[in-house]
Amino acid sequence: MILRFIIRRVLIAIVQLVGISLVVFFLIRLLPADPVARLVGMNATPEAYAQAEASIGLDRSVMQQLGNYLGVFSDSKVPGIAQGSLGDSWTTGSPVIEEIGRFLPVTLELITYSLLISFLIAVPTAMASATRPGGFGDKATFVWGLFAGSQPEFWWGLMFVFFFFFWTFDTFGVSLAPAPLGRMNPLLYEPNVITGFIVIDALIQGQFKAFVDAAWHLMLPVGTLVFVVSGPIIKMVRQNMVRVLRSDYILYARSCGHSDRAVAMYALRAAMAPAMTLIGIFYGFLLGGAVPIELIFALGGLGEYSIRSILNFDYPAIQGTVLIIAIVSLLIYLTIDILHAFLDPRITF
Amino acid sequence: MTSGTTGAETPQNIDQHTGPGPNVDIAKKRRQIDLVKKFREEKLFAFGVIVVALSIFLAFFGPVIAPYDPTLATGDVSFAPPSLLKWPTLFWQTITGQLDQPPHWFGTDNSGLDIFSRTIAAPRTDMTIALLAALVSLVAGTVLGLVAGFYKNWATEVLMRTSDLMQAFPVFITAMILVALAGRNTSNIILALGLVYTPIFVRLTRAEVLGQKTRGYVTAARAVGNREWVVAFRHVLPNSVVPSLIQTSTTIGFAILLTAGLSFVGAGVRPPTPEWGSMIALGSQQIILGEWWQSVFPGIAISLTVFGFATVGHGLEEEYR
Repeated sequence: MILRFIIRRVLIAIVQLVGISLVVFFLIRLLPADPVARLVGMNATPEAYAQAEASIGLDRSVMQQLGNYLGVFSDSKVPGIAQGSLGDSWTTGSPVIEEIGRFLPVTLELITYSLLISFLIAVPTAMASATRPGGFGDKATFVWGLFAGSQPEFWWGLMFVFFFFFWTFDTFGVSLAPAPLGRMNPLLYEPNVITGFIVIDALIQGQFKAFVDAAWHLMLPVGTLVFVVSGPIIKMVRQNMVRVLRSDYILYARSCGHSDRAVAMYALRAAMAPAMTLIGIFYGFLLGGAVPIELIFALGGLGEYSIRSILNFDYPAIQGTVLIIAIVSLLIYLTIDILHAFLDPRITF
Repeated sequence: MTSGTTGAETPQNIDQHTGPGPNVDIAKKRRQIDLVKKFREEKLFAFGVIVVALSIFLAFFGPVIAPYDPTLATGDVSFAPPSLLKWPTLFWQTITGQLDQPPHWFGTDNSGLDIFSRTIAAPRTDMTIALLAALVSLVAGTVLGLVAGFYKNWATEVLMRTSDLMQAFPVFITAMILVALAGRNTSNIILALGLVYTPIFVRLTRAEVLGQKTRGYVTAARAVGNREWVVAFRHVLPNSVVPSLIQTSTTIGFAILLTAGLSFVGAGVRPPTPEWGSMIALGSQQIILGEWWQSVFPGIAISLTVFGFATVGHGLEEEYR
């Protein structure tokens, strides 16, 4: 049963991915940008221009370019999607898929920790607030949820850097946070890449110093995202808890003589499902939306890669980034839909 | 969200229950009084309304009332703002004309631009982009949503699938691509944001229209011989537009955030145009050196404005649900 659901969802996802690749492909070619001029500069001779245009394949017809990108009826030496490649970057010359493989784990690590911590903070807070509706704590939580959800996260990131790095050093002589210059102290050895999550890699290889340093460097970026993202999640879980607590089956559980705590646990299970959906949406959003935070802390994630490719008009890199982000988001949505079924017994596939 | 059954002034209630007459006026009046009452009683909503009004006021008059030209260097490079304790004295001296030049309330940045003038002139850029982008997506989304809900054929099916597909796109990246590749100017940012936010309105309006089109007043409108598109636009549209209008307030807030975010990463309006996001970006290199004022003030402005729009959006949603 669940297998059939997964297969159907994967098939739909593949159609969606094809759609997304086509839209991106034609969109960037419709817009009035000149990537060749970006490569050779404004003062290049017509010959140099033509040579560059031919080398990146922009002299072919649009349909032939599409064929080269997809890897069917290709006339270029660079493999396409059908051969499992996203092409070569026009600015660096290396395969896009390798570059993304280097940048993606940084972003995944950042947003996975942020969303996990947000979830762990949001659920108890929302539960406390929903069980005493109308109280001071409830009102404060509500205003907080509305406020945090409408904040410029990049500005808060900068404020945290100012406060924890500069101000504490200026006043007490110790920085509580490291300089926002990367994932680790450059004087320490980085752990070998296993999962790509630097904190976990350091931990499983037993490099305690690297582990502490990497976690310290991630503290502020993760903290900033938690600060902004936890708001809407609290709001959502609280809203659902209040609704569920009014439902018949909670009344039934109460009348059976269950304790308040046990009743709250029943309600929580049903209220979690929409919160999971929201987490999934945030995951997809932050894959491309964490760009400013990655820039502030110089983490070198997918966001930084995408802004660099976009400003350089690096078409293969842009196409690759959007496609990879779409694949990861669709995988996350699928996982969350499956988790739903475990959380909420009313859902069947 | 329930379909517009609570809308007392909407035609279907008149048709079904009371018939046209003096009741309509009473109903209309009551709705207006509710909002005024809400403004008086709910501090959060009142705060939001004031912030929204102020930001729109500054969009019109900000550059006019700014003490310095927001794009011209003053020669005072990297001045720290005067301490808050000195503000009353400085303010008194300014209005009585004892100073030969107005004080730099928020300091100056490292090219000598006056931060206060730029912060109050920025709504001209940010609010124009956000309001027009929201308007573009509201109009396009409502019309497309109405058509998609009202007519059911292969064309509207394609429309909905395209809308689904667009929602699967990463918003920030899409906006960056559109703006950077089309050219970094105001009208391109407006169009890009408008395009990114359209699917939300398509979805909202279509859901509303699907609930409305089987109602009695639609059949009645057809029965008296109205043409299909007249039924759709004159009768169904006014009854389906409220959720979209409420969504607009929230969307304006998010559009301000996105505009500022784009400028912050270098894919938005070009400096020295006064814009909050690019001001924060210009100050971000200085902040580890302790020059906090370049980024702090425009950030507070964004923070308050977007929160203001969010509270108004939330208040309206509560009122009409």
